[in-house]
Amino acid sequence: MKRGNIIVIGAGPAGLSAGFYSAYYGFSTMIFEENILGGEAAEIPFLDNYPGCNKKITGKELTDKMVQQCKETGGEIHQFEKAVELDFEGKQKFVKTEKFKYSAESVIIASGTHPKVLEVPGKKQFQGRGVSYCAVCDGAFFKNKRVIIVGEDSRAAEVAIYLSDIASITKLVCQKDKLCSEKILIDSLEKHNIEIIKGVELKEIKGELNVKSVVLSGKETESTKEIETDGIFFQLESIPNSQLVGESGIKLDDNGYIMVDKKNMTNINNVYAVGDVTECSVKLVSTAVSQAAVAVMDIVEHNNKSL
Amino acid sequence: MSKVIEVTDQNFEQAVLNSDIPIEVDFWAPWCGPCNMVTPIYDKLSEEYENFKFCKMNVDENKQTAMKYGIMSIPMQMFFVNGEKVDEILGAVPEQTIRSKVEEVLNKYPVDELGKFMKILTSWTEHNIKYSDNFRKWGEKAESLGDEAIYNSILQAAQEMEESNKRLSQLLNEFLRKI
Repeated sequence: MKRGNIIVIGAGPAGLSAGFYSAYYGFSTMIFEENILGGEAAEIPFLDNYPGCNKKITGKELTDKMVQQCKETGGEIHQFEKAVELDFEGKQKFVKTEKFKYSAESVIIASGTHPKVLEVPGKKQFQGRGVSYCAVCDGAFFKNKRVIIVGEDSRAAEVAIYLSDIASITKLVCQKDKLCSEKILIDSLEKHNIEIIKGVELKEIKGELNVKSVVLSGKETESTKEIETDGIFFQLESIPNSQLVGESGIKLDDNGYIMVDKKNMTNINNVYAVGDVTECSVKLVSTAVSQAAVAVMDIVEHNNKSL
Repeated sequence: MSKVIEVTDQNFEQAVLNSDIPIEVDFWAPWCGPCNMVTPIYDKLSEEYENFKFCKMNVDENKQTAMKYGIMSIPMQMFFVNGEKVDEILGAVPEQTIRSKVEEVLNKYPVDELGKFMKILTSWTEHNIKYSDNFRKWGEKAESLGDEAIYNSILQAAQEMEESNKRLSQLLNEFLRKI
């Protein structure tokens, strides 16, 4: 078993910031990430709502800098290492991963969210062949092609705007009756000639080797409409990655988000949660970073008291 | 040192489809962040496996092959055996997932003579076990039709097959013990 002062679960902006601040304040810090470093933020086309980034910076560029800073400060990042068991009962906290067992005095959960998957015929068959979840990763394949984005919030609008600069025709399919996005983005959708198709359901994805069309149906009318497209990008609502922590006794709200106090501590002493996985209603990189700072500063304070 | 081979549209057929050992091709692009994350894994695995070839193809510079296989997401790893695509992995995945897939392909498509022989022997015995049951059922059907001679012949054939299969299985076990 390997021991440290602080274990961080997740390496998106929240986890990387928690890792950086922990290492910066002299704690031996281990950060575990089961997927790619940077989390969902690494897939954000452009971050123009993050202070200091007046020139457009991509999510990947920002999170790469965070990874570098975290490592240079002394944070030990374990990529592709999934936490599989958590034991927060005693004073010492234990995290078992697929590879090894670790312990620390404090744990910061920054496991983020994952996009909801719509199970429709054709989705699995065309995954990687027109069905995509990451516009930044796969956008280049759709140069001068037709794309459809399925989603109903700001994230979907941002992705549609990003893809409209690459694709020949961009349509945004909103399954709700209204797009839940800021006015600035809705105006931008119009400026980019993006057609918004509201109040419809995606029924099927059709094609041969690659995607050729999608079938949409009216929610009430049952009438269907087939739209030709080369790609379909899913940008649906986010689901918190909180199943494992929920099993460890951490309190979740009705939607599965982790409940925290003002210092971002959970109901378990010395176990914190930061970023998108928390009940915080504002899901921005800036709130993730600030929550991480608040949590680590609380650990610093407790540590000083116990000295 | 990495033994990953860079392949192009021009040499894809020669280097990949005509390869006499199983091959993995990592379709990537320089701008793709997740691709860069899996590159070190392939570099590492390429040094470990002698009977397995690891290649990579830059899809920006080699659009023809990517189009042929309908690739519209990367990183995409495709596995080829005897010129046929046999499996694929989409996205950045942990080392263990890739390693398991390589092992799976190697087990399914052995490259050495002994491996090939074992594979044939195993599939032969499995096939016989499956069909001797069917033989018996057909025999029973023939008996119900009142043709006892045919039934007896089928039963005898089934028995002979089961006995030869038993010998084949013993041979297979002896081989396995020796290996």
